Amino acid sequence: MSEMQASGPAPIQQRDNTKLGIWVFLGGEVVFFVTLILTFLMIRLTNSNYESAFRSHLSIPIIALNTFVLVTSSYFVVRALEAISYKGDQKGLRNNLLVVVLLGLIFLGGQAFEWTTLFREGVNLASTFGSPFFIVTGIHGTHVFIGILWVIYLLAGHWRHPFTQENHLAIENFGLYWHFVDIVWIVLFTVIYLI
Amino acid sequence: MERAKRPNYLFVFITLAVFTLIETLVSYIQQTAIKLPTLITLSVVKAVLVLLYFMHLKFDSEVFSYLFIAGCILSIPLILVIVLVMPAITP
Repeated sequence: MSEMQASGPAPIQQRDNTKLGIWVFLGGEVVFFVTLILTFLMIRLTNSNYESAFRSHLSIPIIALNTFVLVTSSYFVVRALEAISYKGDQKGLRNNLLVVVLLGLIFLGGQAFEWTTLFREGVNLASTFGSPFFIVTGIHGTHVFIGILWVIYLLAGHWRHPFTQENHLAIENFGLYWHFVDIVWIVLFTVIYLI
Repeated sequence: MERAKRPNYLFVFITLAVFTLIETLVSYIQQTAIKLPTLITLSVVKAVLVLLYFMHLKFDSEVFSYLFIAGCILSIPLILVIVLVMPAITP
């Protein structure tokens, strides 16, 4: 038994069960988003007028700023985790999570602005590129929205029963989800806007 | 996450921010031969940095890495179906 453990992967601790669950969920999300992104790519590659019919309507500087906002929110998530796990700093945890909520809302605001602009310019769900674009970015935006609700739930829980240096796995689990949503956006930013 | 191995989160964040800026600037280059590989490389590096440091895969149990890789492997049949079928059904 000990030989098996020595040659196999490092064992996970009992307390990591919920974290294991999050990783299983994220593994499924990988399949889901790969399918979505690839479908978008294929629609793009099989139509030669992507640049003139769609990409020319996108505002790269605004979306780059939005990408920076989401990356920054990921940094504040690790700051929140760092505050509680290394220092037991409950105030630091709360403040960093509040910044995450704010940045998440700014990201969604940026996306709403982009969608409104596109609708005004005639790009809608009926258009060749509009349909996959709104589906992919809409599903990602929904993930961000769920993440914001999750942080608010954690903050409410923290207010009633504060997280401690020993008990903060819920923050770590949320962080995994949020960072994954960040990774999906990193890929979407390149595939939809930059290339 | 092991407490002894504490990553420099600020450095990772600054790297991600700088790479985002470089990506944005590169997207305005017209030459596809330079643009495409640069953008794909930067995007992959950014995603790996988030996975390794922000999601702690570098420090956590390898089981979590295997689960993420399993998701990537499970995507392969779907990728094949989309790549092979979509051009045939697209008008």
